[in-house]
Amino acid sequence: MDLMLLAPELTLAVTGLAVLLIGLFLPVGAKKMLGYLASLGILVALALTVSSLGTEATMFNDTLSIDALSQFFKIVFLVVALLFAIASIKYTEGNSHTEEFFSLGVFATIGMMFVASANDIMVLFIAFELASLATYALAGFEKSNQKSLEAAMKYFMIGSLSAALLLFGISFIYGMTGTTSIPAIAAGAGNLVTNPIGLVAVVLLVAGFGFKIALVPFHMWAPDTYQGSPSVVSSLLAAGSKKMGIVAAFKVFIVALIALQAEWQMVFAILAVLTMTYGNVVALSQTSVKRMLAYSSLAQAGYITMAFVVLTPMALGGGILYALSHGFMKAGAFIATAAVVYMVLSENRDVEDPDHLDNFKGLGKRMPVTALSMTIFVFALAGIPLTAGYMSKFVLFSSTIQAGFVWLAVIAILNSALSLYYYARVVKYMYFIPTDAGKVSEPLPYTIALVIAVIGVLAIGFWSEPFVYWAMEAAKVLIPGGM
Amino acid sequence: MAIGDLAFLIPLLPALAFVLTFFLGKKLPNGGAIIPIAAITISFVISLLITMNLLQNPEEVINQSYSWFAILNIGVLVDPLAAVMLTMVSLVSLLIHIYSVGYMSHDRSQSRYFAETALFTASMLGLALSDNILQLFICWELVGVCSYLLIGFWYEKPSASSAAKKAFLTTRVGDVMFLAGIVILFSDLFRIFNGTIPDGVYILRFDEIFTHIPEIAAMNANILGMEVSHITIITLLFFGGAIGKSGQFPLHVWLPDAMEGPTTVSALIHAATMVTAGVYLVARTFPMFMAAPSSLLVVAYLGAFTAIFAATMGIVMNDLKRVLAYSTISQLGYMMLGLGVGAAIGAEAVGISIFHLINHAFFKALLFLCAGSVIHAVGTHDMRQLGGVAKVMPITAVTMIIAAFSLAGFGIPDTIFGFSGFFSKDPIIESAYLFGSSSGMWIPYLLSITAALLTSLYIFRLVFMTFFGKPRTDYGGHESPASMTVPLSILALLALVAGALTRTTFYEFVSETFVNDFVQMDIPALADIGGYHLASHAGHEPMLILWMPLIVAVAGLLVSYLIYGLKVVNMDSLVSRNNPVYKLLYNRYYQNAIYTDFLSVKVIYEGFAFAGHAIDRGFDWTVNWISDLMIESGEALRQFQTGVIQTYATAVIAGVGLLIVLIKVVMEVI
Repeated sequence: MDLMLLAPELTLAVTGLAVLLIGLFLPVGAKKMLGYLASLGILVALALTVSSLGTEATMFNDTLSIDALSQFFKIVFLVVALLFAIASIKYTEGNSHTEEFFSLGVFATIGMMFVASANDIMVLFIAFELASLATYALAGFEKSNQKSLEAAMKYFMIGSLSAALLLFGISFIYGMTGTTSIPAIAAGAGNLVTNPIGLVAVVLLVAGFGFKIALVPFHMWAPDTYQGSPSVVSSLLAAGSKKMGIVAAFKVFIVALIALQAEWQMVFAILAVLTMTYGNVVALSQTSVKRMLAYSSLAQAGYITMAFVVLTPMALGGGILYALSHGFMKAGAFIATAAVVYMVLSENRDVEDPDHLDNFKGLGKRMPVTALSMTIFVFALAGIPLTAGYMSKFVLFSSTIQAGFVWLAVIAILNSALSLYYYARVVKYMYFIPTDAGKVSEPLPYTIALVIAVIGVLAIGFWSEPFVYWAMEAAKVLIPGGM
Repeated sequence: MAIGDLAFLIPLLPALAFVLTFFLGKKLPNGGAIIPIAAITISFVISLLITMNLLQNPEEVINQSYSWFAILNIGVLVDPLAAVMLTMVSLVSLLIHIYSVGYMSHDRSQSRYFAETALFTASMLGLALSDNILQLFICWELVGVCSYLLIGFWYEKPSASSAAKKAFLTTRVGDVMFLAGIVILFSDLFRIFNGTIPDGVYILRFDEIFTHIPEIAAMNANILGMEVSHITIITLLFFGGAIGKSGQFPLHVWLPDAMEGPTTVSALIHAATMVTAGVYLVARTFPMFMAAPSSLLVVAYLGAFTAIFAATMGIVMNDLKRVLAYSTISQLGYMMLGLGVGAAIGAEAVGISIFHLINHAFFKALLFLCAGSVIHAVGTHDMRQLGGVAKVMPITAVTMIIAAFSLAGFGIPDTIFGFSGFFSKDPIIESAYLFGSSSGMWIPYLLSITAALLTSLYIFRLVFMTFFGKPRTDYGGHESPASMTVPLSILALLALVAGALTRTTFYEFVSETFVNDFVQMDIPALADIGGYHLASHAGHEPMLILWMPLIVAVAGLLVSYLIYGLKVVNMDSLVSRNNPVYKLLYNRYYQNAIYTDFLSVKVIYEGFAFAGHAIDRGFDWTVNWISDLMIESGEALRQFQTGVIQTYATAVIAGVGLLIVLIKVVMEVI
């Protein structure tokens, strides 16, 4: 076995530990460098992953596998982690717990990456928990902020419940098939199909993953947590950890439990429609931008879930591409919000809702880069052409129509149209509602993260072909022969 | 590295200049004019080198294509047609930019001006070197946007902003037709390939389009009981686009109004960057027109009609710039006619038409810049208030007179003596004659020769009224600065000799556009598909026909001299202001009444718009109802989000339970 295959994860592990240790010996003022160090580590891991594209291998007695799918999602996680780390440099400035913040973020990323390459359902679960535990702590990072603590608490409790359900589902599967290896489960799924326990296991697993993906009705923690956590953490949760749920579900359902296809396809059909509609409708009346983004991310998860229902190579490719696009768009949107929150709080420490829509008034004049980036992100989320969001929706929805699920595509498109209302409202506040407040300087780390995300969103929108092709390659891992 | 590899820089540099000027212009002297000037200079040098290279090796057409997405590409094609176009556009645009430094020096928004003109130039250059119809269309639309921005440059003037809107909306009518043509073409080609397009084949690239002309021509559509070939539909739709952009009847109405922008913008629009796009489009897709029954005839008739129609209005205008505007429309009519007579002379039509386009660009830019120079100095463009300007502005006057001679087409047949305009207009009129004699359709010839008389008449009327005689008002004035007179002199030189020097080479060069290593078109074979009978050319015209254009031009000069120079007859007593013909012309055939008051206001606004408004209200109500419902349900659903964690946990467990039951039931039923 070649240890080099694990180089990105190892780099991250070393980075995380180094940040933690060095942080112990640094005065608060010098801790800023930890952010740079973490970003650098993530960047190196990203470079290592990109350089090993095309590799196919299995490790540790087939419990981990490196293939196009895992590489794709690893890159998604690393990109999101990079945006998160860069943006956090400013957020953590002057905080004495900076080292914990960054090392937790890095550990969470490692967990996500292991989920992406897990080939054994137990490895997957452990990696899943590694990421979850790190993010629980991150959500409650603002120890003196009640909202942050509440967010973390809710996240943790529902998370524990979901982990229990997930484990419960896994135990059923183990019981019926006698193995935890994903390919082996697929081979020996005969018992699961004939026994009603199969359905129970499927629903339990859906609940477990649905918690991370934030599918209705397992979503209720999400708005509270996204709103209460620090915005940069929300970006990691919405853009990164949610994708972890998706890739895990891809592996477990499409590869391991393909024999129960009929059951889980129906489950996902119901949940996809429920989730996108519920997310969009509730988002309409939100005045907190973070909460609005939380509901919008429900809706987006609903769209991605369509891939499970349609289950053609093109639809899966669309879903996978959507995951990448959503990583850029949603992380970007949360980071833009983080910049605004930072600005608002630095003007007045005691503001109750720093992410209230009113604070976005006249942002086009006050923070032009942030406002323009935010505009691009929300338009991308709404699916306006020439952005990543449009391309992903196009591939996903058109594959849905091609596969004959016209009703599903119609619901998704109507939902998309509906979503423009609340996305455009943000733009309206930023550009058309004037304010007396003057221009403020935009912190550089936020700006860099925003620019990277904007480039990502536009690159996928303008030059979509290589990305679509890449996502299709990743989809082939799930259904090699096509269906 | 071959110079051809730099072709992509030709539009890219001015585009870059647009970005730089737009953001940095305000901080630089003269609004950052130096950036576009430098960029366009390089573009011009590259274009010129490529053209010269191409002249020596006409086979070595530059074509670089890159996959854009799916079966579409972006790419560069520099064949003889594109090469001369690029050289002309970059040169004229460069001179206009230099001139603008002086002309716009008093304007507050100089940097915006230079940014927009740079983009204008970039779009036009991009249009000229597109190797596929889609990219051409994108640049075409960019040109439209820029014209809108620049015509409405002084947007605080209501007349300017309404002129900008008029230009945009009128050309839009043509653009929609053009787009429809592209869509039909695309679907036809897709059908020809049976939907499976091999790798590396980009179906909207010109060589693919041209190769499949016979197949497209074989497809027929049934329109009102008539069998019409698809190629005819497509070419007529393309021509529709050209009508809008190139100001042909009936979509020419925007051009005279476009004078509301700065005069330099008018010069750009009229000479280099906009109106020639339509002619260029027809020339570019000429093989398709050749294979399309009746399309070329439509082009010829409409061109000839526009030539005379606009010239009649040019005679009675009192506004310096408006005379020139109608003159442009009229000359564009000649260019279209030149392409249309391809029905008789084949690919050579492209040569003569584009030759006129180039010469026209030089002398029309010159006319506009001279007019601008006059306006800049004396502050009015009403010719009735001018007179005797030649005394105060000698350089401007001399250059303007050269331009006038060029426009009127003075020159001696069969020799090399003549102004540029002569060498290009004359062949068009002669070809129209040839077309008449081979097909028996004499109307285009008669219209074009009459228009030549009118051309001479109106341009010398302008010259006499403006530059000679006694000043009619006390306008003061001075010669313009060197940054303005130098471009004038260069353009005057071109208007004087460019035609004589390049004529034969030019025809041959441009006529080779469709036979090289990019495409090999057999024009006579295409003419067979289109049902045109090509006449053998050269030397068959009677002596009188050769001399006729000169005779009418001199006649026009003499008549203007008698009326406006010597004033032997008093125009006012000769023609009453109430004379119905005068009134008809002066009111521009009541186009305003027909287009604006009737068509726009009555039919579209009051008719359609009000009806639409009523329907819209219905939709509004429905949409509002839906949105209210949605927002209310959003509010209602929010109530579930209690914030109490027990609720959340309950939801999870209940969700699991319900899902199991639901799926179980559904599975049993199925």
